[in-house]
Amino acid sequence: MSVNDRPWRKSLGARIIVVFLALLLAVQLVSFASLRISLSRHAHNEMPAKLERGEQLLRTLLERRVVAVADVTKVTASDFGFSTVLFADDHDEDHERTITSNLDSLRTRVEATEVAFLGLDGAVQHRSSGGDAAAVASVAAQLRPQLPANGFASEIMRVGGLPYQVVAVPVMKPRVVGWILIAFPLGEKLQHDVKSLSGTDLTLLTRASAREPWAVAMTTLAGANANDLAENGWGAPTAPDAMASVPSQGDELGVHALPLGADRRLDGGVLALISLSVSDAVRLPADLQFQLILITLTAIGVFAAGSVVTARRVTTPLRGLADAAERLGAGDYATPMRGLTRGDELGALSQSFERMRISVAENQAQILRLAYWDTLTALPNRARFREAVGDALRDAADARLANGAEFGVAVVMLDLNRFKHVNDVLGYSVGDQVLVGIAERLSRALARDGDVVARLSGDEFAILLRRTDAAQAEALALRIERSLEQPLVLGEHKVDMGAGIGIACWPLHADDADSLLVRAEMAMYAAKRQTNGPVTYDPAIDATSVQTLTLISELRQAVDRNELRLYLQPKLALEDRRVVGAEALVRWQHPTRGLVPPMQFIPFAEQTGFIRTLTMWVFEEAARCWQILADEGLQLRLSVNLSTRDLLDLDLPQKFAALLARHEVPAKAFCLEITESAIMDDPQRALATLDALSAMGFKLSIDDFGTGYSSLAYLKRLPVDELKIDQSFVRNMQSDRDDEMIVRSTIDLAHNLGIMVVAEGVETAEAWNLLRELKCDQAQGYHMGKPMPVTEFSAWCASWGMRRAAGDADGALLLH
Amino acid sequence: MLARTALLAALLCVGAAARAATVDVAVSDAAGSPLADAVVMLEPVGAKLPVKPMVGAQIAQHDLRFSPQVSVVTVGTPVMFPNQDTVKHHVYSYSPAKTFQIKLYAGVPHTPIVFDKPGVAVLGCNIHDGMLAWVIVTETPLWARSAGGHAKVLDVPPGSYQIHVWHSSLAETTPPQLLPLTVAASDVEQRVRLGPGGLVK
Repeated sequence: MSVNDRPWRKSLGARIIVVFLALLLAVQLVSFASLRISLSRHAHNEMPAKLERGEQLLRTLLERRVVAVADVTKVTASDFGFSTVLFADDHDEDHERTITSNLDSLRTRVEATEVAFLGLDGAVQHRSSGGDAAAVASVAAQLRPQLPANGFASEIMRVGGLPYQVVAVPVMKPRVVGWILIAFPLGEKLQHDVKSLSGTDLTLLTRASAREPWAVAMTTLAGANANDLAENGWGAPTAPDAMASVPSQGDELGVHALPLGADRRLDGGVLALISLSVSDAVRLPADLQFQLILITLTAIGVFAAGSVVTARRVTTPLRGLADAAERLGAGDYATPMRGLTRGDELGALSQSFERMRISVAENQAQILRLAYWDTLTALPNRARFREAVGDALRDAADARLANGAEFGVAVVMLDLNRFKHVNDVLGYSVGDQVLVGIAERLSRALARDGDVVARLSGDEFAILLRRTDAAQAEALALRIERSLEQPLVLGEHKVDMGAGIGIACWPLHADDADSLLVRAEMAMYAAKRQTNGPVTYDPAIDATSVQTLTLISELRQAVDRNELRLYLQPKLALEDRRVVGAEALVRWQHPTRGLVPPMQFIPFAEQTGFIRTLTMWVFEEAARCWQILADEGLQLRLSVNLSTRDLLDLDLPQKFAALLARHEVPAKAFCLEITESAIMDDPQRALATLDALSAMGFKLSIDDFGTGYSSLAYLKRLPVDELKIDQSFVRNMQSDRDDEMIVRSTIDLAHNLGIMVVAEGVETAEAWNLLRELKCDQAQGYHMGKPMPVTEFSAWCASWGMRRAAGDADGALLLH
Repeated sequence: MLARTALLAALLCVGAAARAATVDVAVSDAAGSPLADAVVMLEPVGAKLPVKPMVGAQIAQHDLRFSPQVSVVTVGTPVMFPNQDTVKHHVYSYSPAKTFQIKLYAGVPHTPIVFDKPGVAVLGCNIHDGMLAWVIVTETPLWARSAGGHAKVLDVPPGSYQIHVWHSSLAETTPPQLLPLTVAASDVEQRVRLGPGGLVK
């Protein structure tokens, strides 16, 4: 049976009521049953005594009768006239009638059925008139052995199947001369007296001998009950304090058996059975039954009312708790519990709920803090910032709708430069302090309430400006940049932190919060690339970016589609104009866009890591070219650019070694060019890689030297063979004395350290000559030769070689 | 005196006809105690010994008692009932042996009562319930009364007899106390005991 089939199971209150009433009914049933049992036990305990009383009563009634009869008879027996008549000498008929009439009058007085005179031999000498002569003879015959020599006899005997009471009173003249015999059947009066005086039933059984069954002579019971009693057999008299139990007609009769015969044996004669019905004794009196039913009904009513009240007292607070739990589940942690003052279990439960509510509310707040706030800087995190931006945009939009206020919202986003370097060199603890310091500076830079500073991720921060415009945002960005120029002092460390700062404004640059954030981020990355101060979002950045994304995916296919081309730009010795090497450069021959400039895909290849594939492609292609050129008799050293990611790849030396082996090219045929910044990102790993490469025999070159922060002293620790002075210095050295000084001193210092110097961007003969004066070792630039495919390069080398052989003394005339 | 008379009679009767024996009967009650004043009669079997009525027998009433209480008389003996008290008596007997009444009288009644049937007559007084007497009417001359538990019947001729013992303690419903006895020429000692079913040795 399912729960649905028992609706009361759904309700605790109904259950309580049902259980209460069921318990009450059980108790009532048990008490009824125990009442019945105790009544039965009581009856069984009491019945033997009652039966005993019935038996005593029967004996007494019989004895009283005997005494009464004897008293009356003695008068006659002692009457001299009676004796005179009895022993008269003349035995004629008149005399006999006289005697008979005398006995008849006695019979009337004692209310007997038979009166007779017995001689000394016990034989009937005279008897009253009428009556049953055979019965009298039977009585006399049975009585004879018991007649006392000198006295009185009384007996109960079976006569003609009926129980008779017999009394014999001696006639003393002066000694016994005979007996007056009084006999009468036991009758209804005796039964009535026994029944009415003791409440017991009386049954008299008779039988002629032990071989015969008992027959019912008379009874106050129903005939069927009496027959059941007769059939019981009755082997022995019942002990005074016991009773025989005889089942009869579905009832049980408690019986005392009392033999009334002469010898008190049960082999014949008369047996009196005093009986009581057990079920009558056990039966509850009607008025008691009525009272019990009344009590039960009253108790049910009282219990029902009480259990309803109790159930209400329990279920009402439970419902309150259930409602409260529902509220908690729905996220309402503010409403306090009720019933806290109750002293019982429900009160304790309410208090537990209340503690749980408070605890959950606190946890909720904590979760919100963790979800929306950065634990290190105590600034909002990206999620919170995003919400704040959304809120600000909605407020601004509402303000516009409400009063036409033309306020904008700006997001300034910044990403720290070289933060990873700080972490690696100075430790994460200092890194964290740097972040906290930056957060403080940013917060200080904000003047207005409502503006929000957030830490978006690692070293990325953002500022939300409400009710502002692009100009204010840019001013703030500049202020921030200036504040970052002050080095952070952290204990013994002084840390310079720069940052790329991007700005995007609503509604100028974006319609919604997410795109506003994306565009601020784009501007920030653009600023980092340009390293030229804050950048405000411009659709052009975005367009390039989108184009770049497309290019990156196409670039991946370019290798397979064989769209990449290797270009070589010659490197010449300034001293003798001999071609000593070439820089291997990659070009992308896009099927639709034509030749894609390196600046459009190299930086993004670096960002995505694809640069490693490019590097390997260039290296392998360069190895192949070297072999071709070598076959043509050109023993050149080819320079290959390595990116930051290449340097961090610890497997790079092995990969290069494998390629060298495959193409059977010596390592010293290559110069590997590394930018300063590539080394500085992770100096230790970079140094390890460089040491390994140097050990293999590769020549190493620092590219774009002068643009970074590395010092020559630091370079000294690197296994570097060559410096390439950045072309910006070379181009300007003739017009700018400072640049010339930088080039000159760089060359001098490099030479002092035993490092060869290469100048890039040599575009004029003047530059060539000046570099030659400055003792620069090699030069590379359009003035001598631009990057060109390998086949062109071979041809170029051939023509260059011929011109040089022709003794072209003036280097300035070389190309143009 | 009565016994002596009877003895003399017996001596006279059997005389020289044969040498007579003495029968000594030791009488005890059912418990075995010797009985005094028991009447032992030897009744010949199949014959009758001649017996004469006794003379001068009387039972007086004195101090509201019969005196003697037990009398043995031969059949036909007339007995006088002299009233020696100052109150009247009404002597009666309803015994089969002799039914009679001597209604209220004082002094000596004129006529004696003749006990003409053998048996035991129980005598009472209708005025005084406590008065009781027995008259044993015997047909045989061979009888004796016990003293110290012994009754000696003298001059018993040889022959078959029935010993008949009566004692006042016997109930009326008790059967006669009889026991056969053969007497030869010599004296006989017989020990008897009264019993509810009859006399036993």
